[in-house]
Amino acid sequence: MGGPDPARRILITGVANFWGAGVARALLADPAVEHVVGIDTRTPPPDVAGRITLLDADLRAPELRTRVRASAVDAVVHTDIPQFPEPGRAARQLHDVTVMGTLQLLAAIGDLPTVRTLVVRGSASIYGSAPTAPAFFGEAMARDALALEHATRFQRDLAEIEKLVEGLARRRPDVACCVLRAQPVIGATLDTPITRLLRAPVVPVMMGFDPRVQVLHEEDSVAVLAHALRNPVPGAVNVAGAGTIALSAAIRSMGRMALPVAHPLFRTVAGAMGRLGLPAMSDDTVRYLRYGRGVATDRMTGELGFAPRFDTRAAIAAVAGALEQAA
Amino acid sequence: MSAGRDDYWGYDARFADVLAPVLGALYDHWWHVRVTGPERLPAGGALIVANRSAGEPWDGAMIATAVRRHGGRELRALGLDALFSLPWAGTVLRRAGVLPSGADNAQRLLAEGHLVLVWPEESSAGPYTVGRFGRGEFVEVALRAGVPLVPCAVVADGRLPLPGPLALPALPSRWRIELCPPVDLSAYGPEAASDRRLVLEVSDAIREQLQAKVHENLIRRERTDR
Repeated sequence: MGGPDPARRILITGVANFWGAGVARALLADPAVEHVVGIDTRTPPPDVAGRITLLDADLRAPELRTRVRASAVDAVVHTDIPQFPEPGRAARQLHDVTVMGTLQLLAAIGDLPTVRTLVVRGSASIYGSAPTAPAFFGEAMARDALALEHATRFQRDLAEIEKLVEGLARRRPDVACCVLRAQPVIGATLDTPITRLLRAPVVPVMMGFDPRVQVLHEEDSVAVLAHALRNPVPGAVNVAGAGTIALSAAIRSMGRMALPVAHPLFRTVAGAMGRLGLPAMSDDTVRYLRYGRGVATDRMTGELGFAPRFDTRAAIAAVAGALEQAA
Repeated sequence: MSAGRDDYWGYDARFADVLAPVLGALYDHWWHVRVTGPERLPAGGALIVANRSAGEPWDGAMIATAVRRHGGRELRALGLDALFSLPWAGTVLRRAGVLPSGADNAQRLLAEGHLVLVWPEESSAGPYTVGRFGRGEFVEVALRAGVPLVPCAVVADGRLPLPGPLALPALPSRWRIELCPPVDLSAYGPEAASDRRLVLEVSDAIREQLQAKVHENLIRRERTDR
């Protein structure tokens, strides 16, 4: 296929977050790229900030549409989908930022005739975690997973975002819309709930549960966004390091200690530990720690043609090594 | 691949090695299992279709032990969905090679060349009676995966002294397991999986064969053991 002409003018939402800044760096190093526009209310890292055009705007602001249209970009990378509540960003706000922000952005793209490519940083959390879930979710299985009654708010938000993207893909068949459903990203510097949990000296786990987990290394999580920009395959693609690892083995290879907690008490204990620096855990994370999740990556390695540098085990080992060096 | 015989499904080879002698003791001394036809198992992937006799965990453990001893192969069983949300139970089952049922899991395991064991009976119809098979999803899976079906008749002690899937039949008894000749469906091709008539016909034929084999082994057991 090879896709259309390589993108030259690119818009990145959430350019101040890890993924937005990472893609911006990769694009700035590419001589074929003429112009990078970033949207964020926060300030991007200094090495990125000086070399891009920054639109200091909230994705939800209505004036955004005019400004996006004026940018005349040919590709959009949407990374501003906060995947977990942070201090000061409650779960309710999360819904607002992710869904309303995406809605505004897609509306803007919808009447921007120059756009040919849209890459969205989605999440494999769309599948949730369930005791009898398929061991490896394929891209077509999201609907079944969402039909379950315990589907979390974030799962439904992700589904809503993907529905919006599908809507755009229908309305604008000339735009290749690619949603990357990434498994939890881990890294030595990255601040995600799973990473912070695995970095804690004592890791609370649920007694009697040893889920299979599958992760993506931070480096690959940025590389895949840049890759999808060059070869956007329409629709959703699962993204993860090959293989799975038992949570207990992951904790061991991180050199941490597991603290088994009876599962009905898990939330309380984890909440108490929250005051000691552990992340506040969303329903998704709690379910993930109980039942785990695996995704099938055939589409990623095949159609998308992306090979992560780290498989799941190697990603955990790499983070463990980096942390040891830092210590 | 430092994992050796482990796989990404949650199977733990070391755990299985610890479990094997325990199951072996049950196999030899508690249930006195006699197995017919383990040499009939094809190389490569196959879908083993068994009737429920003493309850899935015990049936499965004994079929797996028979296959392990005679062919040196590890089985993957699909079923016992209700146990996967419980602490310990789900973890133990996964490590032993059991997975929640579902066509997705079966399809993928078969594509990887595993021997997969399923119990298609919808509900138990009483001792030594093979119940209804429902929609025959297992036939679809085998057709799509292009693997043979291996009917497996299990005659355990029909009476379950305790209800519940983990209740150990209390009395020592004499079991018989027969692995029937593989049913090759490859001539139909994977598209045949959407042929409802074919799927139901195959499914019914397998059910009838299992029922006949259960009776046959029951009679054989009475004759030799009394």
